[in-house]
Formats: sequence, structure tokens, C-alpha cells
Amino acid sequence: MFKTIGLMKGTALAGAALVLGLGLTGAFAQNTVKIGAVYPLSGNAASAGASAKAAIEVAVDVINNAHPELGDLTLAKDAGLPNLNGAKVEVVFADNQGTPAAGQNQTLRLITEEKVHAVLGSYQSGITLTASAIAEKYGIPFLSPESVAANLTERGFKWFFRTTPIASDIAKIYMEFLKEMKANGTKVDQIAIVNENTEYGTSIAKVIREAAQANGLNIGLEIPYSANTTDVQSQVLQLKDKNPDCIIFVSYTSDAILYMKTMQALGYKPPILIGDNSGFSDAAFLKSVGSIAQGAINRSAWSAGKPGSVTDRLNEMYKKKTGYDLDDSAGRAMQGFFTMVDAINRAGSTDPNKILTALKATDLKPNQLMMGYRGVKFDEKGNNILASALLIQIQGSDYVAVWPKDSATAPLQMPYKGW
Amino acid sequence: MKRSVWLLLILALVIVYPLLFTTPFLQRLGALVLLYAIAASAWNIVGGYAGQVSVGHVVFFGCGAYASMAFFTHFGWPPIAAVPVGMAASVGIAALIGVPTLRLSGHYFSMATIAVAELARLIVTNVEALGAAVGLSGPVMPRTVFDLSFTSALPYYYLFLAVLLVVLGLTYWMENSRIGFYLRAIKDNERAARSLGVQAGRYKLYAYMISAGLTSVAGTLYATMYGFIDPESGLGILTSVKILIMAALGGAGLLFGPLVGAAILVPLEEISNNLLGGKGAGLTFVVYGAIIMIIARFYPSGLLKLLLDRMAAAKPAPSDKQVRDVA
Repeated sequence: MFKTIGLMKGTALAGAALVLGLGLTGAFAQNTVKIGAVYPLSGNAASAGASAKAAIEVAVDVINNAHPELGDLTLAKDAGLPNLNGAKVEVVFADNQGTPAAGQNQTLRLITEEKVHAVLGSYQSGITLTASAIAEKYGIPFLSPESVAANLTERGFKWFFRTTPIASDIAKIYMEFLKEMKANGTKVDQIAIVNENTEYGTSIAKVIREAAQANGLNIGLEIPYSANTTDVQSQVLQLKDKNPDCIIFVSYTSDAILYMKTMQALGYKPPILIGDNSGFSDAAFLKSVGSIAQGAINRSAWSAGKPGSVTDRLNEMYKKKTGYDLDDSAGRAMQGFFTMVDAINRAGSTDPNKILTALKATDLKPNQLMMGYRGVKFDEKGNNILASALLIQIQGSDYVAVWPKDSATAPLQMPYKGW
Repeated sequence: MKRSVWLLLILALVIVYPLLFTTPFLQRLGALVLLYAIAASAWNIVGGYAGQVSVGHVVFFGCGAYASMAFFTHFGWPPIAAVPVGMAASVGIAALIGVPTLRLSGHYFSMATIAVAELARLIVTNVEALGAAVGLSGPVMPRTVFDLSFTSALPYYYLFLAVLLVVLGLTYWMENSRIGFYLRAIKDNERAARSLGVQAGRYKLYAYMISAGLTSVAGTLYATMYGFIDPESGLGILTSVKILIMAALGGAGLLFGPLVGAAILVPLEEISNNLLGGKGAGLTFVVYGAIIMIIARFYPSGLLKLLLDRMAAAKPAPSDKQVRDVA
């Protein structure tokens, strides 16, 4: 008898605790916005994933705590999200292991188990593809800060957005730059493209070729090569022989380093040398061949800017956490995260439909961003029509922003100096 | 009698599993176990029964996956409709590479299959029609129910279960037919089998072709569920190894060995990734690898074999009295 009563009491207590608990979590949920982030935290892109994770964690700090020193940057001034009664942001990270299957499984888990209000990810385009398909089925907003593959936004998805510049934006900035050079009297009669021969190199090369044709610039030479190569002498000799006015490299890290070394060994310098992001942006590139690639031009949407600026302060926060400077792709992750949280704040709710409406109405101005985009505004496919990049140049031991003029921190040095 | 009762009980448990564990993640986990069990059971036919350790089975997996995505992309077929295409291609490829490579023995056969798989991956990476390095995707939004694009994992679960039962049924039939006996003879001692008149080359090839065709079905199902395939996930060596490890862990050459292996490894991988992956310390694979090492060191013939041996040991041998009574 006593036992039964005890049991009943226990059950009632447990029930009450449960009700209380549910009530509490209900109330608590109002004060936390949960965002899932699916990144390659293991596998061969793990270092990029780790950088993105650190960048997002810095952004969480910026949003959740008051940072009046960061000026107009979205959500920096006050602690938490003002339109949600100062709600804090919580990020649940998941590892996509570099496979499309794990990316999708983890996105499903974040949505159904962790009950995240929005998902961010997933670096590799193929993984973004499968991960966003699950978000689409569940009707949860998905934002990709860095995947550039064209087909991602051709699927007619309702819940998919991306903030990054895509191949056509990248080609555009090179063309505008080269046209300006030409107008200023620099000889740009023949351009050479040297690209690694998998997806990245091939697709960027293709878009650059098309953009050059449209802009009346002449691509005189195209050299595709394998990024795993250990010898590029014949390619460099070919370049030396044709002597183009400008070379655009689309390379990964080890091959970019090899090209710079071989060019020095063979004593060849083109008047303009452009390296498209990836290999040329890698910290390892600067460290090993920066001194013999003086004047190399690269594209990036990130620049730490002048000391004391908002971007410089963000960079310091990031550096304190990781020990190295913020790079372009981690910066894009951070910007994507700010954009998503800004939309949730404007929605004033974690209801997916309200977030969707707010995302569609996104109109961020350059002063609210930490990346060098002209703003963030989505077209009906979910692409950021104001995404852009700026050109940076190796001067001394670092990259400095040189073009366009209004975002430059140092004057452009021409021609390519080399060593 | 006793055995069939146990089997029915396990089957009943497998059938009700997704009704007991209703969260989408656990249902999907169940579906994934069955999917990998299909692939590992298919591998088991040639790797377990015939003892020809293929480390390039991903070629057939990729064949099925690519067939479904390619026929969808170019002709608008529902992905699942490409099952016969993938199977035919796989069986063809198996015949083509089996004839020369099955003459090789032991490690040399394994090495040759790895080479073929890597070759296939490199070729596909450069074929535009197969999506090259970017990969191919399936229907974005289901057009009809035949696209098998569901939000819930339940339909996948039961579809995979049905296919698995067919594969296991086929394996069971084979195990008890002439080909099964031949294969075991070949596995134990190929020279002895030959001397007794077993046409070893021919039967190894049969096993290889059956195994290839069934592996391709797993590939198609995989692509149907995830809606995307690229060279790394469809033809990467890791998938081959995963299939092989599941069969070996559970017990290669045993009917339910691969199922046991999949039921342990798939949840282990997913759950360790859930718990540890987000930390970004790469711990998932450390734990995963450590468990595989422990099993390989202490139970090399597989967990199911260990269990069966234990059960056999626990059962008392017929005593003299019983024997006399029968007599």
C-alpha cells in the first residue's frame, strides 16, 4: 500500500517536474535562437572547416555580447537579438566528414533532434547540395556562405540562399580590373589562363574565358594542368615563349608554390600576375614563396583594413582565438552567419516562414558587413546580387587591398615584381 | 525448429523497429543499417563464401548509383527505374574484369580490384556526361511517388528491408545449392577443389557477377535516398573498405554476418559523429578505428561467429545415455 502511494507520489512528482521542465524549456526557447552549422571538421577539408567554425564562434561572441566598438556591424552594438527580447544565439556544429551522405544525415539530425531554427553550411558544393535538400523538405532556411557551384541555385529551392560571390562575379572583377588597366595605357593584348584541371580550375577558367570574350579581351593561351604535378617547367617555358601580358592562375596550394619557384628558376616574369584565391590565399603560400611573388594579385572579399577599423578588430578577435589571421573563406562563413542571424532578428521570431520572409527582404549595406561585398540582397534564386570581391596584392610579407580604389589600403604596384 | 523461431522473432523486431523508435534520425539510422547490410551481404557472396576478397566493390556500387542519376539527368527516368541498367552494367563489368583478375590469388586479386576501382573513379571524374568532378543529382522535388523522394525514412526502411530479404534469400539458396558447396570448396583449397573436378574459375566468376549485380542495387538505393552522387562518394575506396569491414566484422561467409556488422558499425559511426563530430577534434574516426582494431585483434572471424561458437559450447553435447536411448 505504502509502496503504491510512494510510487504514485513519485509519478506525480515526475509528471510535475516534466510539465515544469517543458514549461521552462518553452520559456527558455524564446531566449535562444539555435542555428545548425554543418562543416567539414574532419576529412581533407578539415582545416577550412575548423577556420569556419572559429569564425562563426567569433560572430556568436559579437552578437551575444555588446560590442559598441564594432560600429555599424550587424547586431554588434547590443547584447543578443534586440527584436527577440535580447535572445542569445547558440550554434550547434556538426561534422560533414567531407561526404555528401554525412552532410545530409547531420543536417537531418540538426533539424529533427536539435530543433535548430536555421542551417548554415557546408563548404564543399556537393555536400551543400545534399544537406540543403533535407532543409528544403523540412522547410527550414538554409544559407550557404561559401559554396560556388552554379547548380545550387538552379534547383528552384524556396529555402536556399547564399551570400558568396560566384564564378561570374569573380570573372567580372578581373575583367573590370584589366579593362581599367588597359584604359590607363597598360598593354593587355593577350591573357593566359593557367588552371588546374578538376572542377574548380575548369569551371573558373571557363567563366573567365566567356567574360573575356564578352569584354573584348583576348585569351591567347590556356594551359590546364594536374594539381598533383611535381614539375611545371614545360608549362612555364610555354608561357615564356608566348610572353602574355597577363597570366591568371587558378591553382591549389602546392602547385601554386611550384609555379612561383619554377618561374624564378627560369627567370620569367609576366607584367601582370593574378592568382585566383585558393592556393594563392593559403597561409602556406605566403610563407614559402611570398618573397618571390611580390606584386602577385589575388581576389578576396576580405581585407583586415586599416588598424582600428571594424574588420581589423574582428581579425584581432579571430587571431586571439586561432593564432592566425582571418582568411577569405572563413570570413565568408562569418558573413553568412551574420546575414542569417540578422534575418532572424528582423523576423522577430524563430518561425521558419517569418525567417524566410525576412531573408527575402534582406538588404544589408556595405557598412553593416565585415566582408567587402557591395551589400547583401538576394535575387529570386537566392544568390546575393551584391556579392563582389576586391583585389589584393602581395606587398612585403602580406596581402594588402589595392583595387578598387575606394577600398584600397595601399597603392597598386605595377608591374609584377617577383623577387 | 528453434532456429526458425529465433529468426522470426528477429524479423519481427526488425519490422517493428521504426514504429518503436519514431524520431526521424533513428528511423533513418535503421534505413542506413539495412542499406549497408544489402551492400555487405552482396559482397559476402564473393568475399565471404568464395573467399575472393574484393576491395574494389565500390565500382559496382557506383555503377548502380551513377546509372540511376545519369538516366534521371539525361532521360528523366525515376532513379529507381535504373536498377536493371545498373545491374546489367555491373554484371558486364564484373565479367570483363573477373576473367583476368580472378586468376590472381589472395592479395593480388585484392590489389587488382583496387586498381580497377581507382581507374573507374579517375575516368568518371573526367566524363562530362557523368557529371565529371562535380557529380550528378537526382530529382530536386519528387515529381511522382516513383521518384522515391520522401521526407520520412519509413518508406526507405521498408524498401531496403524488402531488398535485403531478397538478397539474403538468394544467398541462403546459394549456400545450400551446388554452387555454394563449390564455392566453399574453392575457398578452403582451390587446388583440391579443382582436382575433384570443380570448375573453380567459372564458379568464382559466377559468384563475382551475382555479387556485382546485387551491390549495384545498393548503389541505386543509396543514390535514390541521398539524391546525389559524385566520384568520391560513389567510387571512392572508403566505401569499398566500409562494405568489406562490415562483412568481416559481423562474420564473412555467414548468412547474417554482414547484417550484424552493419547493425554495429553504422550506428557506431553515426552516433560517434553526433557526439564527437561537432567538437571538431576528428575524434569520430579515432573511436571508430579503435573499435575495428579491437575486433580485428580479438575476434578476427567476426562477432557472429564468436556468438555461434559460444552458443554451441554452451549447449551440452549429447550424453552417452541419450545416445544409448536412441539406439
